[in-house]
Formats: sequence, C-alpha cells, structure tokens
Amino acid sequence: MIQNLRTEVKKLLKDKKVDIVLGWGKGSLPLSSTPVFIQKEEDADRLIFDETCRNNLTTYLTKDKRKLGKTYDKIGIIVKGCDARSIVLYAVEKQINKENVVIIGVPCNGILEKKKVLQKTENKEILESKIDGKNVHLKGRDFDLTIPLKDVLCDSCLTCRYPDAPVHDIFIGKPRKKVDIKDEFKNVIDFEKKSSQERWEYIKEEYSKCIRCYACRNVCPACYCNECFVDQNDPQWIGKTPEVTDSIIFHLIRNLHVAGRCVDCGACVSACPVDLDLRIMNKKVEKEIKERFDYTAGLDVNEKPAMASYCENEKQDFIMG
Amino acid sequence: MIKIKKSDFSTFITNLQKNYSVFAPVTDGKATAFKKIKSAEDINNKVLNTKRSPKEIFFPQSEVLFQYTEEGIKVPKREEKPFAIWGMRNCDTKSLLLLDKVFGEAHQMPKKDMYKDPYWKEKYDNCLVFNLACNKPLSTCFCNWFDGGPFNNTGSDIFVIENDENYIFEAVSDKGKKFLKEFKTAEQVSDKEIKKIEKLKETAESYLAEKEDISSLFSKTKEIWDETIWDEIAAKCINCGACAFVCPTCHCFDVSDEGKGKKGKRIRLWDSCMFAIFTKEASGHNPRSQSLQRVRQRVMHKYNYFMDNYDEHLCTGCGRCVVVCPVNLDIREVIKKIIRY
Repeated sequence: MIQNLRTEVKKLLKDKKVDIVLGWGKGSLPLSSTPVFIQKEEDADRLIFDETCRNNLTTYLTKDKRKLGKTYDKIGIIVKGCDARSIVLYAVEKQINKENVVIIGVPCNGILEKKKVLQKTENKEILESKIDGKNVHLKGRDFDLTIPLKDVLCDSCLTCRYPDAPVHDIFIGKPRKKVDIKDEFKNVIDFEKKSSQERWEYIKEEYSKCIRCYACRNVCPACYCNECFVDQNDPQWIGKTPEVTDSIIFHLIRNLHVAGRCVDCGACVSACPVDLDLRIMNKKVEKEIKERFDYTAGLDVNEKPAMASYCENEKQDFIMG
Repeated sequence: MIKIKKSDFSTFITNLQKNYSVFAPVTDGKATAFKKIKSAEDINNKVLNTKRSPKEIFFPQSEVLFQYTEEGIKVPKREEKPFAIWGMRNCDTKSLLLLDKVFGEAHQMPKKDMYKDPYWKEKYDNCLVFNLACNKPLSTCFCNWFDGGPFNNTGSDIFVIENDENYIFEAVSDKGKKFLKEFKTAEQVSDKEIKKIEKLKETAESYLAEKEDISSLFSKTKEIWDETIWDEIAAKCINCGACAFVCPTCHCFDVSDEGKGKKGKRIRLWDSCMFAIFTKEASGHNPRSQSLQRVRQRVMHKYNYFMDNYDEHLCTGCGRCVVVCPVNLDIREVIKKIIRY
C-alpha cells in the first residue's frame, strides 16, 4: 500500500498535477508521526501511513491565513475518512476551491490514541513499539507489553462510520466500505442519563484542567477564523485566565461554533496536553444536529451547511415550547 | 552527606510542613503537576517530568497583581510560610536560575538596579528547593546538551539522591547547609554508600541519548535570521501555545484588567509568542502576523536573544515540549538542523 502511495505521489509531482503534497512521515518518538510537506519526487519516500498518522492535515489548508493556498496553485493531500470530510466542510463553506486540491484517500483502520497506550503502561515511557494490525507491542525499560489495537484506538475511530474518504480524487489501497456502527452516540446517551448536577460537575472538572494553550482550536479543521473570539480584545469577550469560569466559556462557545461542522476527527482530543475530555460536548452537539436536522457534516459537497439553511419541516419545539 | 530511611519519609515531610508550605509532584487524575501537598501520601516520587512545570509555583499562569475599589488599591496577601519544593529535577531547578535573571536579580544586565519583580522575588527568595536526582532519565531528556545532567544540582538548595533504602541529602547552597545543620535526626552516609552513588550516576547518564555539541548554536543562530531554513522548521507548526505553557523557562506574560463598575483587578497571565495576538498592535498592524515569524521568535529567544543578554540558553532540555507538541515539532531536531545548516 505504502509503495503505491509513494509512487502515486511521485507521479503527481512529476506530471505537475500538484506542487506540494501533504502527508505523514515518521515521527521522532515511538508511536508518533509528523506532518510532512513533499515537493520533490525523491522526498515521497518519506511518506508513511499507519495507525500513528494522527494529524488531520487539512487544517494546514486554512491555517496561517491560508498561506499554502496562496503559495501553491495545486495542493495534494493524503486523507483518512474524517480528514476528507473536513475538506468537504471547507468546500461547503467556500473556504477552498476544491479544484485546486487533489484528495488522495487511504484506507484507515483507526488511529492509535497514545494517551490510552500510556494508561495501559501506567505512564511508563515507551521506548520501542510495533503495530501488527491486531496488536501493539511495546517495550520500555522494565516492561514488555502486548495490547490489542482496538483497546487503544481513538474514541472517534471506535464509532467512525466513514473510514474511507467519502470524497476523493485518488484512492490508494482497498477501501473498507461501510462499517456497521450501532452505538455511535453511546457516550452521549450515557452522559444524558446523568443528573444535570452530575453533568455540570463533570464538565466543570474537565474544563478546569484547561491551560488555554489553544492546541485544540489550532489543530481543529473547523476552527479557521482569521481572528478567534478569544483573541478579540476590543471589546474583550471572555477572560483569559485558566479559571474554570473563563475556560468553560471558551470551550462551550467553541462547541457551538463547530456545531454541524465537527467531523469528529478527534484531533483536539489527541492534541490536548492536559488530556481533557473534549469529545463529549462536541458529540452531544453532533447528536442534536443529527436528530433535529438529519445532518451529518462533511459528506456531500453540494449540501448546504446545517446552521446556514432552513427547511419548513424542521423540528421547532425550541420555539413552540 | 546525610540520609533518612525511606520509611521515615512521611515523618520528614510532616516536620518540613511545620515551617514550610510544601509543594511536590502530585498526580491528580491523569496529569502530574507541582501542587501544595496536604501530606506525604500525596507525593509522586516516581514521575520524572511533571506535565506542567514547577515555574507555576513562582509565576502562576494567572496572578492577581492588585485589586482596586473606590477606597484604593490592595495587593493580595501572600502565603505566610516560606515554600519548600520537594522533588524538582535538575532541568527545573536550573530553569529557576534562568527565570531569576529576568524577574529577580538581573545579574548580567548593564544596570544592577534594574526593576526586580516583587511577586517573583517574594516567592523565590523564600523557598527551599530540593533537587531529586533522576535515576532513570527519559528518552526525551536532553539536559546533557545544556550542561545539565541527571545528577547535577545547579539551582537547588539541597540535592537528594534516592537509592533502594534511603534518601541521601547533600547541601548545595548556604540555605541548604543551614537546613541540614539543624536536621538532627538524620544519619551520616558511609563511604560505601557514597561509592554506590557514583554507580547510580553512571547508570542514569547511560540512559541519556547522545550529547549534541551545541557550542556553535549561538553563532549559527546569528547568521540564519533571514534564511529559508525557517520555512522548513515552521511549516508544520500550528501555533498553539502547548510548548510555551509546559516549558519551565518560557516566561512571557500579558497583563489584563478585569473591572466591573467601580472595582476590579489587574491580572498577570501567561502569554506565548506562538499566538498571533501576542504582537498585535493597537493600530491593527502585526509585526509577526506569519507563523514563520513566530516560530523563529521562539527559537531565537531561546538560543540567541537570551544568550545575548544573559550568556545562557533559555532551555534546560527537559523535553516537555517534545512530548506535548501535537505535530511532533521536535525542538531537538530544530537545534540539530540549525547547527548543521
């Protein structure tokens, strides 16, 4: 698979179909990958694709005032299912011209959540790792451990219904086709069963850990505002302290800003340096949107955004009481 | 050198608490940070690098400088007892020396009577720092590049070595000497045990990755300011502040006024040169509007500007940023790239 991917990327560069390709390369730490930007054919050999390819690279298409789009006419980008849905989001929201992007889909079997792996090793440092499709083999200074891959996949991957890029120009390898996920919103349903007091306590405790580094926002493909509301200081909308009252406003507003737009790629969850549960509220909002508007973000470039369109038969119980 | 048995650790901490507010690595849920402890049981002596650095004890992420009402200004009351910090590692104790150059003594600056930050000084001057040796450094540790080491003790008052049975104490500063002199219940360490320390040290050092010779780093950074190397380095940075906020030496801050009606407070908050708003001017102009400029700033501040001002690199090789970076922008690779450029 990887050889085909490299060959295809080389071909695209050689034929001048693209000026640059965004993909993943080997990271400097065990179980890590890192974004690579391939411009020369020979550099395509640096490309990898496996369970460590965590980053949603589409964020680079809109990051830094869309510098990539301004610098290069044609951009190739390697995508998992969730990443491809982010591109659809950009196209729907008119942030990119899809004609200028060559979408290269790769078959995704789920991505590994390093935080879960570290829980299994009880935070002992991993020095060597090997993934063989079913299991992860880990070696540390004083331990040897084999764990089933499914126990350490990202939560988003465990409920992912679109592992293959729903929109792509090229697909390398064998697509997984549709996967059968019955309880996509199980975590939300369980959460909803709690009392409002319990829910509030949970959210308060999680968000009180926030250090306001904005890694979640900056890796998020849906967060592409030129100026985020937290950065506006004239007037200043919210306080900048890491106090829970300020952090909670940041997170809850971000939840609403990505309503009907979040593709549950899980990039925020993996990026958070203090391991917040950033998924529960986004998933709750996703469930609301699904129930009210029967809308799933990032599947169809011709669809109008859920929050920017209106149908007469929409549920209006929030108005009618 | 004197020692206490590990079984007496709890008593030692309880006694310490009589005269000090004791801070130590505490694991709370998933993360470990330096926190004020209630008892010795809270302490996690196993963790090497806490997720958040101990700089927050002296320089909190958010610190009220003063409150104001119609009656006037009030500076919040500080802790009454001095601080004792147990379990800092050499990369962190060394960072205190670096931060003190900025907030405290301003040693190397031309004017000796420069502004000294009272909020920092009050805490730093009244603290007792225990530096715990790292018996098993991590693969992300690169303190040895910056003349630190698992058994170095720069920036601490008392150096502590943990072996199978005991904690061994060695005074580093005058403050540390005074403390250990009054510490009557401890036993003297035998020559045999001292020899064993050498062995522990050797093992610890063998865990570290190969030392990079960074002697040319400063001169190299002087030459590359407008070179294309920064495109390569900065390309993948997403400009979050994770690296700066876990860094024990990053110290940029913002001052924010939070007022309502006739009262309010002025707060000092961590800020980061990674954020676009960090340099945004009132006119709307931003001299560092591009990601590349901001990444260059952070790297240059660490390995050039600080060196220019204080003759030291603003990095102790703790490796926290290496671990948390969401895009695996490994600062060790950045340094190597600059040196070989």
